[in-house]
Amino acid sequence: MTDPLSKFATATEIAGAVMSKKVKASAVIDATLKRIAAAEPTVNAFTDIVAERARKRAAEIDAGNHRGPLMGVPFAVKNLFDIAGLPTRAGSKINVDGPKAARDGALVRKLEAAGAILVGGLNMGEYAYDFTGENAHYGPSRNPRDTTRMSGGSSGGSGAAVASGEVPLALGSDTNGSIRVPSSLCGLFGLKPTYGRLSRAGSFPFVDAFDHLGPIARSAEDLALSFDAMQGWDPDDPVCTDRPSDPTLPRLIEGIDGLRIAIAGDYFARGGEPEAFEAVATVAKALGASKTVVLPQAAAARAAAYVITAIEGGQLHLPRLRARPQDFDPDTRERFMAGALLPGAWYVKAQRFRRHYRANVLKIFDEADIVLAPATPCTAPKLGQVMMKLGGVDLPVRANLGLFTQPISFIGLPVVVAPLQRPGGLPIGVQLIAKPYNEQAALRVAAFLEKQGIAAAPPA
Amino acid sequence: MADDKPDVARLVDEAAKALGLPIAPEYRANVILNYERSLMIARPLLEVELDDELIPGPVFRP
Repeated sequence: MTDPLSKFATATEIAGAVMSKKVKASAVIDATLKRIAAAEPTVNAFTDIVAERARKRAAEIDAGNHRGPLMGVPFAVKNLFDIAGLPTRAGSKINVDGPKAARDGALVRKLEAAGAILVGGLNMGEYAYDFTGENAHYGPSRNPRDTTRMSGGSSGGSGAAVASGEVPLALGSDTNGSIRVPSSLCGLFGLKPTYGRLSRAGSFPFVDAFDHLGPIARSAEDLALSFDAMQGWDPDDPVCTDRPSDPTLPRLIEGIDGLRIAIAGDYFARGGEPEAFEAVATVAKALGASKTVVLPQAAAARAAAYVITAIEGGQLHLPRLRARPQDFDPDTRERFMAGALLPGAWYVKAQRFRRHYRANVLKIFDEADIVLAPATPCTAPKLGQVMMKLGGVDLPVRANLGLFTQPISFIGLPVVVAPLQRPGGLPIGVQLIAKPYNEQAALRVAAFLEKQGIAAAPPA
Repeated sequence: MADDKPDVARLVDEAAKALGLPIAPEYRANVILNYERSLMIARPLLEVELDDELIPGPVFRP
C-alpha cells in the first residue's frame, strides 16, 4: 500500500487513509507543507501558501468535523480562484493592488465541503492568456519532469505542483487548452469538463464564451472523485447548468464496454511532431480503435476561437491597458492591445460560425462516443523558447501549443487528457473527447488506459 | 492582390485613437506585429461563408 504521507499517494488513497483513521489529516498537511518547501526553489509552482489555514482545517477534520469523500486531501488552486483574505492575482501584478477576496471561489468551497484542504494558490500565465506557464512577475512554473522546460500554461503551477508530488490534486482553468496543455507537457491526467458543467463563480474571468474550470491529478480516479464533488448548479454563474449531477466515480469500473472509439483525422493528424501522433496511435491500439472521423472545418474553428479570445480578452482588460500598461507582462500586453482593436464583425462571425461548427461536430457523436486527438503538437519546449518546428515549419511556441485543444473547447466538449510517459523522453498527452455532459465516458477510457499501463502519471 | 493589403500600422494607430487606447512608442511595433499575426490566424474563419439564417449560439435569458 502506498504511504499516504508520501508524494506517491493519490487523493483517493489519502482520503481512504484519513477516513479509516490510519493517518491524521494534520500529518498529511505537515508532510505536504514540507514537500512544498523542499520543491519550490526549483519548481516555482506556488505564489501563495496558506499553511495556517490548512493546519487549522486539518485539526478540525481530526476532531471529527468535515467528513467527506475527499477527507484530508491537500489541494491547491490556480491563483485566478478566489481565496478568502488574498487578492486574486490571476497571474498579474496589477490585481495584487485590488481588493482581497471576501470568500473562497465556488469550487474551493465545494472541495472543502467534501473534506479536502486548500494549501495554496498556484502560479499561472498572466490573465490566463498563455500556453507556456511562464510569467514575468513571478517567474516560470518549471516542468518537474525536466526543470529546464515549460510546464505548459496557463495552469502551469497546477501542472507543476501535481507532477512534482507537492499535492495530489490541483484546480486549473481551460479557455483554449490551459488544463490540457500542462497536463500533456507535465504528464498528468486533466479534465476539462463540459462548458457550464462546473461553476466559475469566484474565479477571475478571461473569455466568458469558453472559460472552463477543472481538476488536474495523477490518476483518472482522482479526476472522477474531485469532479463529482464539484458538480451542481450554482446561481452565481449564469452559464452553470441546472442539469442534475452525474456521478462518474461509480462508473469507472464499467471499463470501455459498449464505448465506440474513433480517431480524429485530417487537422488533428498533421502539423505536429511524430511523438504526438505516436501517442494517439498507441492509445488507439490499446482501445482497439481504428475508425477515423473528421471534425469538419477544425482550422476555421481554431481561427474563430482565437478571434473570440483576442477580442473578449482585449475588451476585458481595456481599462487596465489604458491605466497601467507598464505593469502587464510584456508577453501578454501587446497581444491584449491588438485584440482590443480587432474588428467587431470578426467577433460576430466567429460566434455564428461556432453554432454551425457545433452542429456538424455533434453529428460525429452519432457514430462515436470518444474521439482521440493529440493534446499538444509536441513535448515540453525549453523555457524561454520562442519558436518551434512543427511538421517541418517554424512557428511561434505561444500561439501553437494549443493547436489541437482550441477547436474542442471552442464548443465546450468535455475532454480528459490521458498522459503517456515515454521512457528516456518527455511525456505527452492524448485528448479523450466526448459529447457534451458525457464526462463519464472519457473518464472510463482514461481509467482503462491507466489499468492497462498505457497511461500513467507518477510524480517526478 | 498586394494592393488590397491593409496598412496595419495605420489601422492600429487610428483604431487605438478611436478606442481611446494610448499605445506607447515602445509597445507599438509589437502591437502591429500581433495585429498582423491575427489577420493571418483569422483567415480560415474569414473565408467561411455562412447562411443568413445562422444566428450565434449564446442565449440571453431575461
